[in-house]
Amino acid sequence: MIDNLENQIKSIMSSVFEIPVSKIDDESSPDTIESWDSLKHINFVIALEEELDINFSDNEIIELINLKLIMLVVTDILSNKK
Amino acid sequence: MKNFKYSEILNLNKRIGEELKSSPYNIAILSNITIHQIKEILEYKIRSRGINAIVNIGDYNNILQDSKKYYDSNAVFIFWELCNIIDGLQYKAEIKNKNDLDEILQNTKSEIDFIIKNLRNTSLVIMNKFTSISFSNSTLKKNNFEKLADHLNKYLYNSIDLNFRLVDLEKVIVNVGLDNCLDFRYYYSSKALYKIDFFKAYAEYVSPYIMSANGKLKKALIFDCDNTLWKGILGEDGFDNIEMSSRTKYGAIFEEIQSIALALNKKGILIGICSKNNFKDVNEVIKSHPDMQLREENIIINKSNWSNKVTNLSQIAKELNIGLESFVFIDDSSFEINLIKKKLPQITVLQVPKDLHCYPGLLRQNLGLFFNFSFTDEDSKKMKLYKEQLKRETIKKEFSDIEDYLSSLKLKVTIFEDDDTMIDRMSQMTQKTNQFNLTTKRYTERDILKFIEDNGSDVFAFSVSDKFGDYGITGLSIITSNANKEKYEIDTLLMSCRVIGRNIEYAFLDFIIEKIKKRKIPNLKARYIKTSKNEQVRDFFDNCSFVLIDEKEKVRNYILDVKKYNRKKYDYIKVVYD
Repeated sequence: MIDNLENQIKSIMSSVFEIPVSKIDDESSPDTIESWDSLKHINFVIALEEELDINFSDNEIIELINLKLIMLVVTDILSNKK
Repeated sequence: MKNFKYSEILNLNKRIGEELKSSPYNIAILSNITIHQIKEILEYKIRSRGINAIVNIGDYNNILQDSKKYYDSNAVFIFWELCNIIDGLQYKAEIKNKNDLDEILQNTKSEIDFIIKNLRNTSLVIMNKFTSISFSNSTLKKNNFEKLADHLNKYLYNSIDLNFRLVDLEKVIVNVGLDNCLDFRYYYSSKALYKIDFFKAYAEYVSPYIMSANGKLKKALIFDCDNTLWKGILGEDGFDNIEMSSRTKYGAIFEEIQSIALALNKKGILIGICSKNNFKDVNEVIKSHPDMQLREENIIINKSNWSNKVTNLSQIAKELNIGLESFVFIDDSSFEINLIKKKLPQITVLQVPKDLHCYPGLLRQNLGLFFNFSFTDEDSKKMKLYKEQLKRETIKKEFSDIEDYLSSLKLKVTIFEDDDTMIDRMSQMTQKTNQFNLTTKRYTERDILKFIEDNGSDVFAFSVSDKFGDYGITGLSIITSNANKEKYEIDTLLMSCRVIGRNIEYAFLDFIIEKIKKRKIPNLKARYIKTSKNEQVRDFFDNCSFVLIDEKEKVRNYILDVKKYNRKKYDYIKVVYD
């Protein structure tokens, strides 16, 4: 399940930031991905929300800045949803 | 399109963009809010119809400036959001006095004139009408904000040239639902107002304008007969028992369908028949059934026979001498629909819905396929009338060019030197500013404090205001020197994109160089460090009397002989030193 989710998120990151999935790891962040600017961040959040059918709060949006944190926030939201 | 997720659209768009080899169709979108998500959605919508669309998003809140920059695009879109004409107009409109509101109105009208003038030679301009609906959907009585929208729309309608198309944004919003359109999470932080579903619906709604401009419109609508033009099966139920009149429950639906087809025919769309029936039987219905609305003079071709529909439709295309891609075919049978989809994919197919009451709605939704924008004589007469009336209207200020517009803004730049009360904002600007940033050096608050406390360096920040309000602290420059204070350098020069396009950067540099001059510093070094986002300032120093001394990969080094600096002297920008 977690593996699946991680792959799903990686594939969204790959589409939005236009980089291959193979270049994405736990530490991937706006510092390591050049195209990840504030506007692309909005696109990324939108794509995540649509794909996973969830909604982030203002505070959560700011936390979504590397894959590790994204996984934490997302799994948290998904487990509360159940 | 609404069936595709955003990330799927991104992937599909990329792929289709690589496949399309035709010459690009350039679209520019000018906007005063953040709408960058529309780029790939609109591109995909248009590319999927075979047009190699390239969408460029103009700078934030630079509609006027961009109307000069992008006038030679194939099409220009304008997203002019009423609530951001001045920041927070949706609530400010209710507390401002009449004079202030009038001034906003007059000024916006002048801006509209200016844009119309700049874009007069652009072949297609798609402009959204002003709307207040996002903030006024529950008011019972019209408030000031709504009245402003009404007033501006009326003005717009009377002022536009023939190349302008006005988009009724409220129709798009109704189709999606207000809650599914708006996202206020990003409104307050990034001035982004719309959700992804809105952009999908918008692209869908406006695409006929683009198709029409590219000659991609459908020319012919071909109907099957039984349960498509009428209820019932002619060969089994017989001439007297097929239904297509509002006297019967189902007949009413087919009466509506035939009326829609007839209306299309009156506009020049070809109507044809492709049906598995005896030719003689169908012909008799066309000629003499009392409820039939589509008659011989409306039906250009009648292929009622027992051969397969692929052959028949290909035959029709040949006989009418129009391409298959100009056809829409309607049938109730899944078998036929799937066959055509497979064998003749160029044809757009519509299947009569199982729930018959949805049938007229389906046809109506697809009328955009036949959309052909042409003005009738009467329209143009009306237009002329409006134009003349307009000339008589009260004399209003007219902007002749950008400079003229900028002078009307009463721009004021206030400069702060080594002000330690704003280090958090200054640090934040170094972290966040990407586009107008010459060196893109990121500094913490502590770093900034160090520069402020250091005798050999200067930290200049500025705030900008105009007659409509204050933009806050929006620019920064840090000047550093070497240990013995002989060589000076521009370490940082940046400006928020909120205030781009107003020549403020030049006024700021004029000020800084003046300061340097007074201190009798002969030379000033500067550098441009290239990143993926700061292309727009690549030549900034070249334009400001600096001399390029060397250029390595990503770095350009410059030197300025301070005595030789040419001041830009933008008189309409008032510079105040705090």
